[in-house]
Amino acid sequence: MEMIQFFIKIWPELYKGLLVSLQLSAGALLLGLAIGLPMALARTYGKGLVKTLATAYIEIIRGTPMIVQLFIIYYGLPDFGILLDRMPAAIIALGINSSAYQAEYFRGAILSIDEGQGLAAQALGMTKSQTIVNIILPQALRLVLPPWSNELIYMVKYTSVAFLIAVPELMARGKMIITQTFKPMETLFWVGAIYVVVLSVIAKAVDIIEKKLAIPGFQMSRED
Amino acid sequence: MKGEFLMTEPILRINNLHKKFKDTEVLKGVTLTVNEGEVVVIIGPSGTGKSTLLRCINRLTEPDAGEIYLGEHKIESAKSNLTKVRQRIGMVFQDFNLFNHLTALQNVAIGPIKVKKMNKKDALELAMRELERVGMADKAQNYPAELSGGQKQRVAIARALAMDPEIMLFDEPTSALDPELIGEVLEVMKKLADAGMTMVVVSHEMGFAREAADRIVFLEDGVIAEMGSPEKIFNNPEKERTREFISKIARLHGSDSEMPGTGS
Repeated sequence: MEMIQFFIKIWPELYKGLLVSLQLSAGALLLGLAIGLPMALARTYGKGLVKTLATAYIEIIRGTPMIVQLFIIYYGLPDFGILLDRMPAAIIALGINSSAYQAEYFRGAILSIDEGQGLAAQALGMTKSQTIVNIILPQALRLVLPPWSNELIYMVKYTSVAFLIAVPELMARGKMIITQTFKPMETLFWVGAIYVVVLSVIAKAVDIIEKKLAIPGFQMSRED
Repeated sequence: MKGEFLMTEPILRINNLHKKFKDTEVLKGVTLTVNEGEVVVIIGPSGTGKSTLLRCINRLTEPDAGEIYLGEHKIESAKSNLTKVRQRIGMVFQDFNLFNHLTALQNVAIGPIKVKKMNKKDALELAMRELERVGMADKAQNYPAELSGGQKQRVAIARALAMDPEIMLFDEPTSALDPELIGEVLEVMKKLADAGMTMVVVSHEMGFAREAADRIVFLEDGVIAEMGSPEKIFNNPEKERTREFISKIARLHGSDSEMPGTGS
């Protein structure tokens, strides 16, 4: 009963934090998509320097901790005269981090499409880019949904690192509540519970989208 | 023999074609002319470059040397004309390669829509007509995974036909099919041949070759070993190797006398 009362008391504050967390997640995921998909295409189809640069980008981002990336963008970039507010800095850091992983999901999906699909498209007279847009990507995007939904779920949780640069997201609000109430266990319980509930809703939503986009037989070729 | 009155313009000229994969020379100078309306069936042991020859024609494989002309038009790899040339050449693959994310109807319509920039409504009507032509209209809304191999291959033929090609290439169109599904595909091909389509077919289906081919090309070890009417190749081949190969194929695929309708 006490727990519930405590929850009712802290909910308005946590709710504000949750909204920030979700904004962060959405912004970072979209940025990650906007960078990740072209990177995947560059690494898969690019030649020479383009391929090398895309590969280097992906490997460097995947090879460094997210916190390092976050601090470089928030604390490091001002040295070069680039001053970002907390929220944009967090979105950019999380987005760049996510882009490398998303790029690899996309690349994996693209590579798993049978070579014959591209041959048939070319035989019809499609250009390479028409083939990618009309034949390869529509299939790859369906295949990428399961790993991509994992990324979505990780992302919502990863946003909690933004509290390190004092973005007022869910975790940061929790921390504030702890210092005000001296109730770390109760507070963290509810913070955790909110993550669980939100993430199950998201997982369910992704599930529905996957089913909507499913094509007869197409799932069978998906073995991950 | 229908060939007698169809000896018209050469539509495809292949001149001294060479292709090497790593150290293996697969095509060692193939020269072949196909006339308009002619049906040429290419036979030969596996690994002799039959598929490579077909793929060189529409440049899915880049030849090392030699020229190919479609009509008066030299087929080159320069990007600008390659997609145009490919539109004029229909290709049917051994493993169908239907686009998995599209229905049968969309599979047939996508070429006209995306490549020929036909408007969607016209393209879908055209696609429906092509599906009717191969007896697949009732499966128009089905996805490839819901079709049998024979049905997939018929849709693949319709997809190629929808581009209104001047010549059709068939790369072992029935090799991936269960025996009971081969007939429906051959029937569609036979109809196409009767309608005057120029066809180059890599296949070991003897019944089809005897019935529909104007000319049989025996490709062995990267060169054309022998070439002639089905009559000649099947009954009186000049070379011992041809005879051996024909009898081996006859054992594997059933002698051609067992095929229905060979008397035509």
